[in-house]
Amino acid sequence: MEHPGEGTRNGGSFVVSCESVSFSYPGSGRPALSDVSFELRPGEYVGVVGPNGGGKSTLVRLLNGLLKPDSGRVLVSGRDPATEPFEVRKHLGILFQDPENGLVAPFVEDDVAFGLENLGVPRKEMRDRVAGAIRAVGLEGFERREPDTLSGGEKQRVALAGLLAVEPDILVLDEPTSMLDAAGRREVLAYLETLRAEKTVLHVTHHLEELVRSDRILVLNGGELVADKTPERFFSDADLLRENRLVLPVVQRLALEIGLPPARLRTPEMLAEAILAKTESGTRAG
Amino acid sequence: MRLELRDVRYVYAPGTPFEVEALRGVSLVVEPGEVLGIVGGTGSGKSTLVQHMNLLLTPTGGEVLVDGVDATTLKKSELRRRVGLVFQFPESALFAPTVEEDVAFAPRQLGLDEEEVQERVLESLRALEAGELAARSPFALSGGEKRRAAIAGVLAMKPEVLVLDEPTAGLDPATREDLLALILGLRNAGISVVLVSHDLDEVAEVADRVCALQEGRVRAIGTPAEVFYREPAQAPATVRVASLLRESKPEIGAPVRFAETLDALRALQGA
Repeated sequence: MEHPGEGTRNGGSFVVSCESVSFSYPGSGRPALSDVSFELRPGEYVGVVGPNGGGKSTLVRLLNGLLKPDSGRVLVSGRDPATEPFEVRKHLGILFQDPENGLVAPFVEDDVAFGLENLGVPRKEMRDRVAGAIRAVGLEGFERREPDTLSGGEKQRVALAGLLAVEPDILVLDEPTSMLDAAGRREVLAYLETLRAEKTVLHVTHHLEELVRSDRILVLNGGELVADKTPERFFSDADLLRENRLVLPVVQRLALEIGLPPARLRTPEMLAEAILAKTESGTRAG
Repeated sequence: MRLELRDVRYVYAPGTPFEVEALRGVSLVVEPGEVLGIVGGTGSGKSTLVQHMNLLLTPTGGEVLVDGVDATTLKKSELRRRVGLVFQFPESALFAPTVEEDVAFAPRQLGLDEEEVQERVLESLRALEAGELAARSPFALSGGEKRRAAIAGVLAMKPEVLVLDEPTAGLDPATREDLLALILGLRNAGISVVLVSHDLDEVAEVADRVCALQEGRVRAIGTPAEVFYREPAQAPATVRVASLLRESKPEIGAPVRFAETLDALRALQGA
């Protein structure tokens, strides 16, 4: 029998697969995940959405072996995170939503280097990778700052740099912009965009607009995978959105309420223009 | 309670090469029974500012006044009971085996009798629609449930001012709306709420006044309409849409909340 990992590692079809995965927390009556199956192909950008308690965070923790499934199987780059967590973590890096938990070192640059130190990367290469990662997230000049003196958004970017320095092929982003302001969010999303095709990305978020250009969107609710759809189908499925407590952003909701097409009006500028066009034509007709 | 900050300054690591001036003279008042929204970009000083409201940080300049009295002359434990501070991601501080015990921890420290403690625990959990979580382990809860349990712990102190630092970060939109409704409920019950948020859309929905910080200074303070229409580029989506229309359609006015904005847009189309 062939090693289950060989095919995937050498350009095979999937870099992540979950087969009928179920998990319950001890002492909890209902499963946090039940019978969840999906795959990620190399270079895919896949969103995960759903209400709090739907199973998103549990799924993330099963992917790097922080939790082990009760039944079913998870494979990441051909390896089982439940038995080879350290191998898996070289390939799959997770950015958690709370950056405070991850920052441990006295200075920003040490924090970014922390993951690399555990991998035994040579000093010179480590320095280059750390500098590159700090540059990538726009924190040049912050190298010798103490993490305690940074804002929540800045800490989140330090955590992201630490993740990028390890150079994993798969990035799992658990609400990566939840602490960022509008400018910081645009910046991080633009950076994530440059990683497309180069990395496989699983992006957990409550901000639906961040997934407009994803390849697929998975919806988790009550521990079950209730949908796996393209963004076009996802955003136009009003029933699916409502049943899963998903709320469209303000601009789209305003558009919908006044009878304009929400999917094409992504910004306040686009909505204002459409309203003007409509009232002008109305004036002329009247 | 009327909480006033007068020309508050704060320097991290003073006298070292890493010195950072996080607050450069901030003056503001939290009036009794209002929701004051505090907004500003990453690193503008929002979190540093709120930690001065119960003197978790002592200002390196300026003063904090509680009903006109210098807050440094009050007992710290008393001040921290009256001004409840809920940190970013407060759930990371949950520690007890059950939610009930976690929420009971702070009121028990106040030396209240056990009956009063239990009453407050139930009341706080009920206010957050988290009564059914009482006997559960905090570690088996979802993100939204943990957040509510953590806020209940502060509410059980019966604060006069509740300071919430990014309370909705990481919550799903429906849970976020529930939390905003709770904020309005507390305000209606006479508690002042300071809401720090980078989400301008949610601040627009609940704030009576808004304070915009920039690089450790107050850029603007006033009603949401005053603050947001002054700089529409840094305003919620509703204000951005309306201010773009105002040039040719001044009759749209200055709506801020979603429902107001929708009414104004409908009126515009109907006209």
